[in-house]
Amino acid sequence: MSGRVIRFPKHSLSLQQAEQAAEHILSQPQEERVRRKRSLQMEDPETLLAVCSAIRGRLMSDPSWARDEAEFFFQFIDKPRRDIGLFDERHYFLGELALLAGAACRQLSRREEAWIWFDRSEAGFRHTINAAADLSRLAYQRLAERLEERQFDVVLELLPSLVESFRTLGMAEDALKARFLEGMAFLETDEPTRAAEVFSEIADDPEANENPRLRAAAYTNLTHVYGMVGDAEAAIAASARAIPVFRQLNDRIGLAKVQWGLASVLRESGQIPPAIEAYRQAQQQFEDLGMRADVAALNLVLADLLLDQGQNNEALREISAALPVIDELKMAPEGMAALSLLRESALRQQVNRAALRELHGYFPQPDA
Amino acid sequence: MKRPSPANTVEMLSIFDRSVELIRWTLGSYYQLTEVEAAGAEEDLRAWFHRLVRRGTSPPSPQLLEVALVSAACQYGRSLQLWKLHGQPSRDENLNTLLARQPDDVARDIRQRFDSERK
Repeated sequence: MSGRVIRFPKHSLSLQQAEQAAEHILSQPQEERVRRKRSLQMEDPETLLAVCSAIRGRLMSDPSWARDEAEFFFQFIDKPRRDIGLFDERHYFLGELALLAGAACRQLSRREEAWIWFDRSEAGFRHTINAAADLSRLAYQRLAERLEERQFDVVLELLPSLVESFRTLGMAEDALKARFLEGMAFLETDEPTRAAEVFSEIADDPEANENPRLRAAAYTNLTHVYGMVGDAEAAIAASARAIPVFRQLNDRIGLAKVQWGLASVLRESGQIPPAIEAYRQAQQQFEDLGMRADVAALNLVLADLLLDQGQNNEALREISAALPVIDELKMAPEGMAALSLLRESALRQQVNRAALRELHGYFPQPDA
Repeated sequence: MKRPSPANTVEMLSIFDRSVELIRWTLGSYYQLTEVEAAGAEEDLRAWFHRLVRRGTSPPSPQLLEVALVSAACQYGRSLQLWKLHGQPSRDENLNTLLARQPDDVARDIRQRFDSERK
């Protein structure tokens, strides 16, 4: 552990002053900040705590911004080395900022980068006084990334231990959040009934009263599950409980995911043109958020529906837009054969329908 | 920013206040800080502790916070004594033995001893 232990009496910022300082710093161009670091109080631990909180608050509405800001503050503390706060605070902030950057990269499907940030986070958290709690939060992000990489057996194997750690540490909210991964793993392994049970338990958990975002995320996933099993009424009812909360929180990722769920409901009930329209709206929302993997996944879903409508050229355009992104982001490691078949068929202007369906089956449903 | 609710704030302050006696004992009797040094340490520990409870997404349990607080007090006492000694051994052999140990180790002993004396 490092940090100041010899006293240098110094005026401490109040909570409100720290929030204002953080807001002010974040409104400044990054290149200006380092030059004005003293007047901006950028090395003050109260300010940095408020900065972390502000970044965390926008993780779901603007992940690109969250990633860039987390990286900026990580580098500010890391090099040249700055002694921040007392005891373990320098290590804590490095760990926390790296965790935020990694979580944002996960949302943006920048997988390799996410793993590097998680390693950096571990390097910081290993030296904190409350390392068990910090490392457990990191373990959650790592498992969430494994879920996106479709390692469902690993997720289901390691999740109970993580939930138990959170409970032992008295972190009830994190324990509940971790259960989303369990529900998603069931959903992706064709066990919608078990998935619905898990998401319903999360929505009904008293801890969710304290965190409306968690409850809304549970209802978003229920929208998808009910949509998949063709229960349109239950799906729409679930979405109606999620949307107002996400609107209030300006959770744009949450809203885009609900929209995706509603589009699936329309598709399952055979309303193809409205489903196409709804998918396009969801796609536009992901596009605005810079979530290219979700945009590409929806390109393939749309291609499938457009083929149903006999719109072959439109479908080819969707596939052509998706393929470079799928390659670049290494989105379908298990679906390489299907990807090759689809690429070849697209070149021949004759879409291989089986390959298309196999490939978009490899993309996870939007998670919480 | 996550603001602690009034109930949480009271609980948080009570954890620190409950531990003040133990902190003073650690800094004074174990690490042999002067009264002035110990008072300064207490002030710093309080500021650090108030930030500790606001880390991450949800605060750790009160038990964990208590453990963290005693560990931090040991870390503080050890670092300050080592700094005062300028790398030289103390004339007090007991203090040298204590400074050679990891603060977390010492914290565990202190809590056990304090708990048994309190009983």
